[in-house]
Amino acid sequence: MNKNLPAEYQRFNVIERIQHVILLVTFLLLAFTGWALKYPEVEKSRWLVNLWGGARTAGIIHRTAGITMLLDFIWHVIYMGYMLGTGKMKLNPITTVIPLPKDIFDMVKNVSYFIGLSKTKPQFGRFTYAHKFDYWAVFWGMGIIGLSGLFLTFPVQAAYIFPSWSVNWIWEVLFVMHSDEALLAIVFILFFHFYNEHLKFDKFPMGMSWITGKISVEDMKHEHPLEYELEFGDKGADK
Amino acid sequence: MRRLLAIAFLWFLLVSLAGPASADTFTCLACHSAMKGKIRTDGNVLIDVNVDSEKYESSVHGGFDCIICHKQFQSNPHEATKIGNVSQNIAALAGKLSPKAKVDPVALAACTECHSEVYKDWQESVHGNNIIDKRQADGADCLDCHGSPHYITPKNTLSSMVNRKNVVKTCGDCHENEHLAKKYNLGSSIIERYYESFHGKKYALGHPTVPTCVSCHKSHAIKKWDDPASPVAWENRTVTCGNCHPGATRKFVAAITHKPYGKDNPIPYYFQKGLILLLFGVFAFIVSHVFLEVFSEIRDKVFRKEKEEHHE
Repeated sequence: MNKNLPAEYQRFNVIERIQHVILLVTFLLLAFTGWALKYPEVEKSRWLVNLWGGARTAGIIHRTAGITMLLDFIWHVIYMGYMLGTGKMKLNPITTVIPLPKDIFDMVKNVSYFIGLSKTKPQFGRFTYAHKFDYWAVFWGMGIIGLSGLFLTFPVQAAYIFPSWSVNWIWEVLFVMHSDEALLAIVFILFFHFYNEHLKFDKFPMGMSWITGKISVEDMKHEHPLEYELEFGDKGADK
Repeated sequence: MRRLLAIAFLWFLLVSLAGPASADTFTCLACHSAMKGKIRTDGNVLIDVNVDSEKYESSVHGGFDCIICHKQFQSNPHEATKIGNVSQNIAALAGKLSPKAKVDPVALAACTECHSEVYKDWQESVHGNNIIDKRQADGADCLDCHGSPHYITPKNTLSSMVNRKNVVKTCGDCHENEHLAKKYNLGSSIIERYYESFHGKKYALGHPTVPTCVSCHKSHAIKKWDDPASPVAWENRTVTCGNCHPGATRKFVAAITHKPYGKDNPIPYYFQKGLILLLFGVFAFIVSHVFLEVFSEIRDKVFRKEKEEHHE
């Protein structure tokens, strides 16, 4: 190991980690308390909802968790605006979470590697295209599920702002939005996020950076070579 | 002490002899609790002659003499019935009920003697109206919702047909019936629509306060939805919905229509189709991405490693 290099790199600060934990906890609560309402005709749904203290209590937990998640999301957006506005976080194509054309090429190359058409993996920055997908999926979810959920939590108030030509179908649309996109979110997390962050050979059972915020520089070099280059390029070259 | 014991014994004797049913009831049940099956009356109606005496005695009406309701059968019921034993009011009411109550309209009319208020509500309701004015034989009377008067249990017991847990099914017995739905234009699969609504979904999960059919439509006094006296008539909905949703406006009350999701409600229908398309698109992407990656990981661990070792 090069002496010029630290052993670990601070990947996420404490605010980001707290935001992630709130998101994770509220997501699980929402999924577990809401799932039964999507399939109420199934016998097991009743069992599931009784686990949470019955339909009324599950509903209260669901709404509380939902509002907490929305507040967490708003906090994150304000935080990001603050970090970028004050220059504490700089926009750089290598470290940004904003999707760029490179992500498309990375994806094509990565899939080519999977199926053996390419001999090498793409060089990722701070966030791979999978990370970005994960991240922006939450934004999509907040807009679709969060907003519709908020309307469904306060239907009388929501009715004030709906135009009168929409009231004959808006509730069905809101319900479908909330329910179908929630299913999408759950399957997405269960499949994509779980595989990428928990089940991969070198990740299993999980990476620790969501708790410690740190990633070993060795892993960083392997998983985020472009960011490694950006941070330690000169020192690394000494090796 | 001895006197006390004697009193206690006499009291015990008295209580144990005074059964839940009187001697008259006992006489009827002697045969009717043992009889099984159905018989055809002169009026060509098939009736069940069996009365389960245990269930009857534990019902809310269990302490009654049979003839409190079956007034025509004062002496020997198996002789010609004597309408003369019946008061004029009941006889008149029984006459109106005859299209529905083929066997003993007097007994059906007799409910009003104790339950006069709800009976009056029912007579003016769409259900009562259907039998009394339109003279339909398939209208809903007391028995259709409450079951046989012999076995009625309190509303808060699970065996009650109008218990919160059973009432939707009870309404559905007629309102989901294809023949009746067609005849009375009851709307397509209205109970199914209810179960698709937020109220119905929560009800199915055992929510303790969410509205059932009767919460919005009323029970005995039920009217057709476009009758101005109906609580779900457009004019009354803000009040009805406002019971649970304070501040309900006319825009808000449009939320519950029991309309199907089908093509006659195109915006949610096609919106859902679009979402499902998106759903499957994303599923297809993530599933194939994950499986391809699993494949490549295993390949790397197994074959590429071998290569490395081979190289060394």
